[in-house]
This record gives sequence, structure tokens and C-alpha cells, in this order.
Amino acid sequence: MFSYHVKLALRSLRRNPGITALMVMAIALGISVCVITLTVYHGMSSNPIWWKNDRLYAITLDSWDPEEPADDERPALPPEQLTYRDAEAVTASTIPARSVRMMKTGGVLSSGESASDVLPERVQLRVTTAGFFGMFDVPFAYGGGWQAAADAGPEPVIVLSKAMNEHFFAGANSVGRTLRWNDREFRVVGVLEDWHPSPKFFDLNNGSFDDPEEAYVPFGWLPALELASTGNTNCWKPEGRESYLDFLNSECVWIQAWAELPDAATRARMQEFIDGYVNEQRKSGRFARPDNNRLTPVDQWLADNEVVRNDNRMLVALAFAFLSVCLINTVGLLLAKFLGGATVTGIRRALGASRRQIFLQLLTEAGLLAAVGATVGLVLASLGLLGLRAMYDAGSSGFRNVMYVDAWSIAMAVALAVVSALAAGLYPAWRVGRLAPAVYLKS
Amino acid sequence: MVMSDIRPVLSALLRNRTGAILVSLQVAIALAVLVNAIYIVKQRVDLIGRPTGMDVANMFTVVSSGFTQDHDRLATARNDLAWLRAQPGVVAATRTNAIPLSGGGSSTTIGSQPDTPNDKNVAINYFEVDEGGLETFGVKLAAGRNFRAEEIMPPDPNSTKAPPTAIITKSVARALFGSEDAVGKVVYDSLNRPTTIVGVIDHMHGSWVTWDKVDQVALLPVTPSFGGDNLYIVRTAPGLRDETLRKVEEYLSTSDSTRMIRGVRPLEYYRDRSYLSDRNMAIFLVSITALLAGVTALGIFALATFNVSIRTRQIGTRRAIGARRADIVRYFLVENWLVTTGGVLLGVALAFGVGYWLSTQYELPRLDLYYLLAGVLLLWALGQAAAWQPSRRAARISPSVATRTV
Repeated sequence: MFSYHVKLALRSLRRNPGITALMVMAIALGISVCVITLTVYHGMSSNPIWWKNDRLYAITLDSWDPEEPADDERPALPPEQLTYRDAEAVTASTIPARSVRMMKTGGVLSSGESASDVLPERVQLRVTTAGFFGMFDVPFAYGGGWQAAADAGPEPVIVLSKAMNEHFFAGANSVGRTLRWNDREFRVVGVLEDWHPSPKFFDLNNGSFDDPEEAYVPFGWLPALELASTGNTNCWKPEGRESYLDFLNSECVWIQAWAELPDAATRARMQEFIDGYVNEQRKSGRFARPDNNRLTPVDQWLADNEVVRNDNRMLVALAFAFLSVCLINTVGLLLAKFLGGATVTGIRRALGASRRQIFLQLLTEAGLLAAVGATVGLVLASLGLLGLRAMYDAGSSGFRNVMYVDAWSIAMAVALAVVSALAAGLYPAWRVGRLAPAVYLKS
Repeated sequence: MVMSDIRPVLSALLRNRTGAILVSLQVAIALAVLVNAIYIVKQRVDLIGRPTGMDVANMFTVVSSGFTQDHDRLATARNDLAWLRAQPGVVAATRTNAIPLSGGGSSTTIGSQPDTPNDKNVAINYFEVDEGGLETFGVKLAAGRNFRAEEIMPPDPNSTKAPPTAIITKSVARALFGSEDAVGKVVYDSLNRPTTIVGVIDHMHGSWVTWDKVDQVALLPVTPSFGGDNLYIVRTAPGLRDETLRKVEEYLSTSDSTRMIRGVRPLEYYRDRSYLSDRNMAIFLVSITALLAGVTALGIFALATFNVSIRTRQIGTRRAIGARRADIVRYFLVENWLVTTGGVLLGVALAFGVGYWLSTQYELPRLDLYYLLAGVLLLWALGQAAAWQPSRRAARISPSVATRTV
């Protein structure tokens, strides 16, 4: 029966190729605009480490100015980063399975061999503790991270991104070879696979869609080399900072900290631990704001930091308004077409087709239109996303990573096709099925 | 149009409403979206087009990153600046700590008195420059003087001293001292260290274009401490930017092997990057709105065509009993106008609703009524234009049709 419906639907669609093309185009345009905006929205709001969402927690404490919140626009939230000493204290706990403290800095990488003709490269570099790689499931092509002892040393070891390994070692296994960072010799212990978590959830400062850093070194190098952050450093307290040590002990926030807490019990114990730490610190006059010590899971962290821009939300709403206009348009065209073909329907009814069959027949026709529309729509959407990537060429590169048609986009297109078929087809099919056949046979 | 024209059209419409309702709905949604989208586009275009106070078109940046342990950052800066300033085509050059309009920079707060309470402090986005800073940015001095070469402080990474003097923009001066003359006044940082204002700039945009205080800028006579880097900004004579930029990159890249040269870019690059999402949002909104108007026009066209085709006999009859072609055209245009107007009425309400929702949700200003009026006129025109061809076709139906198909 279904194949018969499809055959009749195809014949009917072929009868008015102009109207059919109009309807397909309307549905295709509507679906493509929706798929484009939804793909970008989904890419921006997706959790790049969803499989660990119930294990990874950003640690934040409200050490800010007693007189005002860290961010006027989000007064309920503590600062996004920690002071150096607080980061050190909360990541010293043995409750988490792993914990990490880190920040971003810059520098020049140059070849370890003096006679090399490989050009030096200015890079962003992450100074972090040994737990980083295991905690965030960072994939390695060669070697691995460093041992916890290397953080304290600090040992001159470095992990390279795939791109940097290409640049300095032509992609070969460079584990054990040397490289200079700011004219200091480091030994390569690991080389990453391509790794572009998007958004860059573990550090959302300065560009949520930036690429991850090009190299990683043990955290101990921070005090040893008196490094400054190339991310954000925010200070509220008037305090004389005459030396680097003063800065390390200051109320400035510039370090990120995360903990891996495998279950609710460890999470509760960790919460207790950071609350206890803050209460302890209060005795020395710090933390004058109300208790706001947070362990935030990744998806909440992305929401708190407003990774999805309002503009993108607005565009999704706009796309659905557009789709609804396209569908209303199609309803009008289908209705006109079905009513125009009512004589045929009347004959079928007179020959014994039931109302239900007529209804299903006409709905099949709408479904066919929607299916073709969605297919064309997907093609248009991938062209649209191609155009979008070109429009973002000049910007931060990472944003372009979310602008691809993926399985999710295809699923969206299929869902929208079903919605479109029902929305566009139900009323016309019902209306025509209800007509008394006699009236049409007469004419 | 007279009432007697409208009544028969309306009664015919009411008897066969579905198509008309569908088109009205399209018109309503189109109007609501169009008006709000264009209003947002206008705000973005205004934002991007704000005057920056600077000679943006003729400026470019250069970063010198020293990476060897024997690299002498300060000596390199002295040599580089002397060379840059000697180049023909270069109007001025300075060292600085941040690039205006780039999204990266430094800020602090100052007060007009010692121990200013927090809420009276004024946030400033500061640029550490030398005596060439003012001319490099191309900003106009409204009062006071430029820095003197001997005023420029050595690098001070931990800010142990406050700079003795500063130049501020008018908007900082207004926030600190109201309408009083700011030149010669003393401001205080959070540690109550004094700084004397020596100059006031007319207008200048700082680092963060989305900040509501983007014009609260101060220039400080300080040698920046920017890691191992020296950041230079160069201003050229009009039209010589690209040529000079190439020459500078070529020379500096080879003049010193203890550093690498990067970030040689027109200031426009940073400005465009900062406004990229606003520019793109405007492009998306205009494209989707144009598509929406197109699809709506198509819907109107299809309805009119359908109506003409099912009324062939009726039109023929009217023609046979004396209606002129113009009467037929007018009938369809009036019908279309009624349908569009129904949609427009609903659309006005919807547009207000959407505008209100946007203003509460995303803190946008309320919808401007002129935009609504323009939207209504546009949709009326669009409706009439889309119905024009089907009406003309209706008018061409021969009176004989009426007799032939009975």
C-alpha cells in the first residue's frame, strides 16, 4: 500500500513541476537555515568531554573584594580563576583522583640543535601539573605526560602539540630529543595527537573557541622562571606588590584549578575540604565575602561562562521563524494543489478509496516533499556553513571548528523533515479528505 | 480606495478564508522578524562605525620577541624606534603595552582624591607609551601638553611607582572632575599614589570595543614590561601603510638574530577582528531577512495566482457584463491589500511582542517606531508588487471565457 501511495504521490508531484519545485525550495531553505544555526549552536554549547561530565569539576572560591562581586553582570558567581596560593592549597588535597592547577603563558620555541635551519616559533604554552593529560583524556601520538615529581623539580620536560612536532621534528617521534623554550633546554617527553576540544572548556579565558596551547611544561617552572600569564590576571586589592613573591602571595586571580572526583561521596568530601580551607583562611582576614566555594561540572561551567553567545540564540529563534513562514507557504501551496486535484480525489473516493486512504495518500505526498526538501536543505546547509567558515576566516580560528555538518546536523534535518511533513501536510490532507466526492464528480 | 470597492472583495474573501489567513500569517511573521532584525542590524552598523579618535587606516603593529638569554630588550627597542622614526613615510612610532581595538589590554582604577571610595573610582584602560604615543595614535590633544622624553619611566613590572604624569581622554576627565579643567589636577591610584594630569585627549577608543567605557583611556609615560617582547605601533603618511609595513618587516626580521619579528599587521586587522561577530551577525540578519521577504512574496504571488485560476469564469462574466480591465486589476490588488493589511495588523502586535522579548532577554533598546512604520510600508509594497503580475493576467482573461465553459 505504501509503495502505491508513493507512486501516486510521485505522479501527482510530477503533474505540476513548477509548484513542486516551489514547495521543495521553500522547505529546503527553511530547513537549511535551521540546520545551519542549530549546528553552530550545538557546536558551541556541546560538552567536549561529556563522558567525564560527572567526574570533572572546576574549582572556584570567592576570594574577591568584600564590597563588590567579581563580575557585576554575574554577581552570584565567584571569580573564574584562583589566586596562586589558593590554587596550590586546593590542589594539594588527596581527595580527588586527580587534580590540576595551571595557566597560559607565552614564549619562543627554538630548535635544540645550534645549526638548525628550523625557524623559531612564538607559541602559547600551558604551565600545568602532571594530572592534566590523564584528567582531560588528552590523546598522545608519542610518549606521554610527566610524573608528579617533575612538577616540583621542576624538570626541564615538555609535551608538544602535533603541529609543533611537525614544525621542529617533521612529525617524527621526538621523545627524548631537545628543544629550547625561551633559550632554555627542554626534553620532549610526549607529542599529542590532533586535539581541539571545542569549546576550550578547561580555560575559557580569552576566547572560548581558541585552539589549545602548542606546548606544555611542568607547573614548577612558574615560580622558578617568574612567569606571567598571557591569559587574564585580575586584581582587586590595593596591596603593594614590589616583587614576584609579593605577586604570588597577592589576591590577584590568574590560576585555573580542576579536580577529578569519581563519585558523589568524594565530591562531598572535596566540598567539605574547600569549605574548611576557606574558613581557615578567614582567620587571617581573607575571604570576607559570603561562602561561595564551588565545584562546577563541565556542562554547568560552560553555561556559567556564557560560552553560547546571545546572538546565536537569537539566530536560532530567527531560523525557526523563517522555517515557519516557509511551512505556512507550503501549506498554502499544497492546499491549492490538493483542491485543484480534487476531481481525481473524488473519482478515487467514488471508486471505493476510504477517507483514511485519501488522507494517507496526501500525507505521503507531503512527506515526499519534505524528504526531498530536507535533502536539498542539507546540501544548502553545508554550502552555507562553508560560507560561514570563510566569514570567520579572519577571527579566532577555533570558532570555525564548530561549523561543519555532522551526524547531529543530519539528525536535526531528518527531525525537521518529519515536523515539516506533518506541519505542511496534515491540514490540507484532512481538508481534502473531508470533501464530499459527489460535488467534484459533477464538475 | 472607496468602501464600495472593498465590501464585495471582503465578502468574497471571507467565504474562502484559508488561503488568505495563511498569507496573512506569513506577512505577520515576516513583519515582526524584518522590523526587529533590521533594527538590530542598524545598532551593529552604528557600533562598528563609531569614531575611534585614531588614524586607524594608517597604523600598523610590530612585535619583537627576544628569545635568547643575551637579548637586550631595551637596547633593541631604542634601536628599532630610532630606525622606524627615520624611515620616510613614517609619521610617528611608539612602544606600547597593548594594541587599541584589539581586545587585549590593561585597566586600573583611579580616583580624584586619596582614599576615594570604590564606587567613585573611575576605570581606565591605560596605554604605556613614550613621547611619540600621542602622534602615533593620531589623537587630538584638547588641552595641556604631550609627554616629554625625560618623563618616560623605566620598566616597572610590579608597578612599584605610580607614573608622575598622565594624559587622559575627555570622558575620563568628565567622570573624575565633571566640567572642571582636568589639566594640572592630581589623581590617585588604589595605593593613594599621586599622578598629575598634563593633557586631555578629545576622544580615543581603547582595547575592548564591547566595553561601555571604551573611551575611558589614559596614556602613561612608562616603558612597558611585556615579557621579552617589544610592541611597537607605527603610523604612516596616508596611503603609505602597506608599503612601509613590508619594508619594516623585511628590515627588522634580519636586523637582530636574538629576536623574532611577528604580528606585523595593520591596525584595521585588529579592529575588524574585534567587530567580526557584529559584522557577521548583521550579514546573517540581512540575508535571512531577505530570504524571508522573498518567500513571503512568493506566498502572496502563489495565492493571487491560485485565486485568479479558480475565478476564471467569474472574471470572464464580470468582463462580459461591463467591467473594464482596470476594474479586474483593481479587484485583485484590493483583495491583496486586505490580506496584507490583516497580516500587517497582526504583525505589528507580534513585532512589539518580539521587540519587548528581545529587550528584556538581551538588554537591547526598545524597538524604534520608525522601523515599524517602514516595515509596514515595505510589506504593503511587497504585497502589491507580488500580486501585480497575477492581476494583470486576470485582466487579460477574455469575456468569452464566461460563456464557453458553462
